[in-house]
Amino acid sequence: MNDLTLASENKTPSDMDTAGEMKIVTFALGDQVFGIDMRSLIEIREWAAPTPLPSVPSYILGVSNLRGTVIPIVGLAERLGWEPSVIHPRSCVLVVAISGKQAGFLIDEVNDIVVIQQNAIQPAPDVEIQEANVISGLVQVPQRATDGGEDTHSMVLLLDLDALAITRHLDLAA
Amino acid sequence: MSDELDEIQAIFFEECAEGLTAAERGLSAMQDGDTSSETIAAVFRAVHSIKGGAGAFGHSALTAFAHRFENLLDEVRAERIAAPPETVAVMLTALDVLSDHVAAAQGTIATPDDSGSLAALDAILNAGGASAPTPAPAPVAEPEPVAVEDDDPFGFEPVAVAIDDFDALDGAPIDLPDLDVKPAAAAEKDAAPGWHVRFGPSNDAMANGAEPMLVIRELEELGGRVTGYDASALPPLRELDPENGYVSWTLELPEWCDEARIHDAFDFVPPDSLIVIEREPPPEEPTADPVSDSAQEAPEPQAPVPAEPTPAPALAAAEPAPAKPKARPVSDARAPDHGSQTIRVDLTKLDMLLNLVGELVIRNSILSDRLDSEDQERVELPELARLTREIQDNVMSLRAQPIRQAFSRVPRMLRDLHAETGKIIDLETFGETTEVDKGVIEKIGDPLTHLIRNAVDHGLETPEERVRVGKPEAGTVTLSAEQKGARIIVTVADDGRGIDRVRVRGKAVERGLIAPDANLTDEEIDQLICAPGFSTAETISNISGRGVGMDVVRSNVEALGGRVDISSVPGKGTTFTLVLPLTLAILDGMVVRLGGQRFVLPLATVVETLQPEPDQVRSTTPDSEVIEVRGQYIPVRRLPRMFGLERGERRPIEDSLIVVVENDAEGQVGLLVDTIDDRREVVIKSLEENLYPIRGLGGATILGDGSIALILDVDALTAPSLHQTRAQMRGIAA
Repeated sequence: MNDLTLASENKTPSDMDTAGEMKIVTFALGDQVFGIDMRSLIEIREWAAPTPLPSVPSYILGVSNLRGTVIPIVGLAERLGWEPSVIHPRSCVLVVAISGKQAGFLIDEVNDIVVIQQNAIQPAPDVEIQEANVISGLVQVPQRATDGGEDTHSMVLLLDLDALAITRHLDLAA
Repeated sequence: MSDELDEIQAIFFEECAEGLTAAERGLSAMQDGDTSSETIAAVFRAVHSIKGGAGAFGHSALTAFAHRFENLLDEVRAERIAAPPETVAVMLTALDVLSDHVAAAQGTIATPDDSGSLAALDAILNAGGASAPTPAPAPVAEPEPVAVEDDDPFGFEPVAVAIDDFDALDGAPIDLPDLDVKPAAAAEKDAAPGWHVRFGPSNDAMANGAEPMLVIRELEELGGRVTGYDASALPPLRELDPENGYVSWTLELPEWCDEARIHDAFDFVPPDSLIVIEREPPPEEPTADPVSDSAQEAPEPQAPVPAEPTPAPALAAAEPAPAKPKARPVSDARAPDHGSQTIRVDLTKLDMLLNLVGELVIRNSILSDRLDSEDQERVELPELARLTREIQDNVMSLRAQPIRQAFSRVPRMLRDLHAETGKIIDLETFGETTEVDKGVIEKIGDPLTHLIRNAVDHGLETPEERVRVGKPEAGTVTLSAEQKGARIIVTVADDGRGIDRVRVRGKAVERGLIAPDANLTDEEIDQLICAPGFSTAETISNISGRGVGMDVVRSNVEALGGRVDISSVPGKGTTFTLVLPLTLAILDGMVVRLGGQRFVLPLATVVETLQPEPDQVRSTTPDSEVIEVRGQYIPVRRLPRMFGLERGERRPIEDSLIVVVENDAEGQVGLLVDTIDDRREVVIKSLEENLYPIRGLGGATILGDGSIALILDVDALTAPSLHQTRAQMRGIAA
């Protein structure tokens, strides 16, 4: 009910992916702006406290009901090694598909959906977080000014979702 | 197009699996002395249909082997060859080879070496053939229904006809003395024919193993009968290629037959065969054989040569008599196949249906949460709930299958094990008809396989050893299944030497799994064989003993929400008990509240609930408490503490409730909860679908208000020894 529908969020004229282009969803997490491949995004939900689980890593906040499916909710900030997010009115959950499984990421705010050129992605410097390089690249995107002033550019950190798969630490342990 | 073919082929392999199971069952029954014609016919049918399908898909090795196997079965079916246990044993071996051939056709294994089995089959056939009279002196050879002495239509047994006997004919066309082509009029006098069908299988049809007899049978079942045949294409015997089709038949079917069904009969006949289906009898009606007019004699025309009931000398010698009684039971036995209407459904469709029904159940509980009882009555919610439950039960039953499926591969496995180890094994099975969710059946196959291999390899002694210790030479492996409440209990037991605890212990110390001075009970030692990386086999055999087995068994079973119990008596044997959930989808549960969170306890484990008095719960150590119930002390567990969910101050004990739960291993345990909300059926949602299994939880469910409640796995929660031993093992392994 409260979920934003993606269609209205979609600011690009064409839904078709033209060669060399990709659509990303950008969002704020702490002081950073992150982006994920639009194709992985299932939906954006308003924050609702999940059901906590026993004996799981602290970044797994619990499980939520996504239309009859039980999905884990991950504190993305904590997962990436920062301080846990503080819940505020604009907090929301990005539901994404990662290698066949679904998970929700708690983020601070959804910014935009933008089209970027594949060749504009710069390789990420070695930002080893825990066990894998979860930042797949850096890209500059125009930031629409919210106060009516000049548009600016900002750096977006592209996330490698596969590296964020919840079962990854299990796979590595095995 | 090729997708479609793949799909059909997939169905064929499914049918092969069913056929192999049926044949296995039949042969096992024969081994136990049931040589009734129905049993033999069932085995024959199974092998026969595998051959037919294999031919259609061009699996020539499979077809060829099935054909030779079928030959013997046919002789047995016709009572020309008896089936003493030795013969049945050969047939069982042949069945194993056949199932290997099927696997090879599927591409899972290499084509098996079937020469040994073929030789054994032929030996029996030839020995049996010797007792039967040698080939007819009369010129009676027929390419396809060759068997001269055989008026049973399925018998095409080339062995009986020795070419040498026909030397006199040398190149001369075969003379068909009594069976000159008759004028059509003979047929027409009998009944007004509706459909007129001519059928002449092509050479390819024969090579592909398409069975003309089956086609004719099918037409006969539609009410048709054979009115004639055309053997004019028959070459001289010397030039006759038994793989080729030379004969065509004419059949008449009643007017009311559905044309599509007539066409259906030719489904597996290659298109280059002669197939003419006409509405009216054409004036130049080719042949009719008055002999076959009698409906009782229906099968005969397929063996055109000796069709004449006035027995030719050759026929008399070949005992034509038994043929008739034989043919009857076969067609009787076939009837139920057509009678029980079944439909193959893609399992994913069934699962989707099950999911939807689950949603329906959830919606139902939402409604009953939101409406007060008066409104519930007004909108007839109770009726809706009842219907929903009925739908649910029915959908669940669609997925339930007899556990026989999982047991069916065991006899074969034991034969292989016998061949590998020389141990003599008797198998006893109980409760094969116990119905279990298909998902459970699929997933216990591997654990069962491993347990049985273990039982034979590690459990049973060699025959000599058994005799020495005063046991019967043959070891017994018992496989049983029974339903107990909401659980299915599957046991694998052997009467072997039992677990050698000294050796297990020694090995565990050697592997660093336990400390050398660890004080373990017998049960704990037995549990060690389930530890990862544990194997006591002195040498690694290819049967078991790779050391990956038992822990895989345990983790597979636990993934299903079940557990493995081991009990062993030295010198007497070992019993593995798998306790499995009846279904993977629905649970009758008690919803309890704990620290603001709701949990579901499986109702099957709940014994009673208590409102404790202040003094009723006593601490025994700082971390453990007991409650006195009618003079008995039961351990009490605080879930929040176990789950690390404890927040704020502790509720006074008298404000809490204690739910006494029971599990087979630990007996009774009291779980401290805040309140009990409700009792309801919940739809189990797996945690591993999007996360991974969490110990202590059997899954999650969605409550009426859309929120999630976690389902508690009582067995995991109440088993302290398991907790500790596991934690110890984990610690060391990591």
